[in-house]
Amino acid sequence: MINDTSGTDAGRSRPRSKRIAVRVMIVQTIALLLLWLLQARYGS
Amino acid sequence: MHWLNWLIVAVYITYIVWDGLRRAKGTDELEGYFLARRSLPWWVVGLSVMATQLSAITLVGTTGQGASDGMRFIQFYFGLPIAMLILSVTLVPFLYRAKVYTAYEYLERRFNPGTRAFTAFLFLLSRGMSAGVIISAPAVILASIFGWSVSASVALIGVPTVLYTMIGGVQAVAWADVKQMVLIVAGLFAIVVAIVLGFPNDVGLGDALAVAGSTGRLRTFDFRFDLTETYTFWSGLIGGTFLMMSYFGTDQSQVQRHLTADSVDAARSSLLMSAYWKIPLQALVLMIGVLVFVYYLFTPPPLLFNPAHAGQVQQAEPATYATLESRYTDVHEQRRAAASAAAAARDGGDPAAARAALGRFRATNIELEAVRMEALALAEGVTGEAPRDVNYIIPTFVLQELPIGLTGIFIAAVLAAAMSSIAAELNALSTATVIDFYKRWIRRDAPESHFLRVSKIATGFWGLFACAIATYAVAIGSLIEVVNRFGSFFYGSILGVFLLAMIRSANGIGAFIGLIAGMATVAAVSIFAPDISFLWHNVIGAVAVVVVGTLLSAATGGRPGVAAGATAESAAG
Repeated sequence: MINDTSGTDAGRSRPRSKRIAVRVMIVQTIALLLLWLLQARYGS
Repeated sequence: MHWLNWLIVAVYITYIVWDGLRRAKGTDELEGYFLARRSLPWWVVGLSVMATQLSAITLVGTTGQGASDGMRFIQFYFGLPIAMLILSVTLVPFLYRAKVYTAYEYLERRFNPGTRAFTAFLFLLSRGMSAGVIISAPAVILASIFGWSVSASVALIGVPTVLYTMIGGVQAVAWADVKQMVLIVAGLFAIVVAIVLGFPNDVGLGDALAVAGSTGRLRTFDFRFDLTETYTFWSGLIGGTFLMMSYFGTDQSQVQRHLTADSVDAARSSLLMSAYWKIPLQALVLMIGVLVFVYYLFTPPPLLFNPAHAGQVQQAEPATYATLESRYTDVHEQRRAAASAAAAARDGGDPAAARAALGRFRATNIELEAVRMEALALAEGVTGEAPRDVNYIIPTFVLQELPIGLTGIFIAAVLAAAMSSIAAELNALSTATVIDFYKRWIRRDAPESHFLRVSKIATGFWGLFACAIATYAVAIGSLIEVVNRFGSFFYGSILGVFLLAMIRSANGIGAFIGLIAGMATVAAVSIFAPDISFLWHNVIGAVAVVVVGTLLSAATGGRPGVAAGATAESAAG
């Protein structure tokens, strides 16, 4: 297997994709929550 | 359209073609032409992935869908972030490390040449047709609103795209995608600002949302588990995950994007960028539609948005059309007054009065929609075509209501969205033609310059083919769904083959027969259970391939001569 470290920013041990993946989960949860709040507030 | 708007469109087209041609320098070998020598940074690939998926259909059709149907279409994308996360740990590293040019090339290494040829053929068939649809959708609309012939619109979109894709290769496509994506997002934000500024002074954004919400347009989530409904939470989450995995993980037009990245991590990051932005961006697109609906509460909209149809109906049934138009004007005035009253009552602080005012608005809105339905039925009777009026809402708004300059930016953004999707398709079609067929079956050994020349000819051929399909495929059904419906027939089954590739014991016979079984199952479902939504076809196809493929592999002696666990290593090359 190729040991690929090229996506690792200097000073950070975790690859960029892993950091983005965590943020994806957080942002999508917030996005769905906002859509749900929009529906609850205005979607009669 | 004002000359300044045309100037903006002309500058955009000239710049994109010039920039594409200038990038031809680094494409003197196949790896440069098709994979940019695997050198592109993650954010370029990420924007290219997004631009490829966001077509003109999204900008024109989906915004129109927001105006007529509201936000619920967004459920279609709920599976996308999940699909991207799964792909970034499964197929993306497999394909990247296999050092392949096409996703189908990997299937030959894992299974057999037949499976590769068959999947590549299905890709060429479905994507060749859909490239035509992607050009045709905006071309038909531009032809109708500007009074051009369809072939002139097809040429406006097709010729510059074929030119920069053919000469510049994937490098030109990816860098053009970056600029096109920036233009598209700028166009979307500009239109939001213009709409909100166009509301009457006493109607704020909260009032607009309350009025739109009372018609159900802000109802985003539908938790019913109904296989016949396309846009529900579950079909989006489950069916959408399979569709997006298939599209981003096995469709060459997307796989080729992440194969150009400069590392596995960059390839993963580029896909996750879409996972990050797709739902917020799609929410913005649909919200623009909802806001345009609110805008037309206070500004009289045309009875029919499609100007070509309106003209034909006026000529064929002048008296009926005039009566309908007069009723439409009267009911619109009543609806405008009711909407203003609802906004005022909302600010009055009396919840009961606000609810009653919204109820009165809803009643007038239903009345107005009934008049419009009569007009649409009349248009269908006169023209003999499905009206698809929803696709003309945003173009009409842009041309009639936006200030000079912004109209040009939005039209340029629509062209950018169309061109970015078509360029990726042409690039991928050429790659599969040359790598999976020409270089594999016709001429294995030849100088690099020969293959490069053949690749450029293949790109040009597919460009001509797509333009021909676009010119003649006028009656192609709903602009938004037709591309996805067409792909759904094969998509799930092709995903099934790639999933099968990760099962150690699966063999070539299982994969090939499984693929046919998957497609046959989807065909049977669409014939005998036509009510089942196309989103579920992807799940059915993929599951059928995996089940039949696994059983058949076991029955035919599994995968001889390969140690357990070898799949990942063989892919890693």
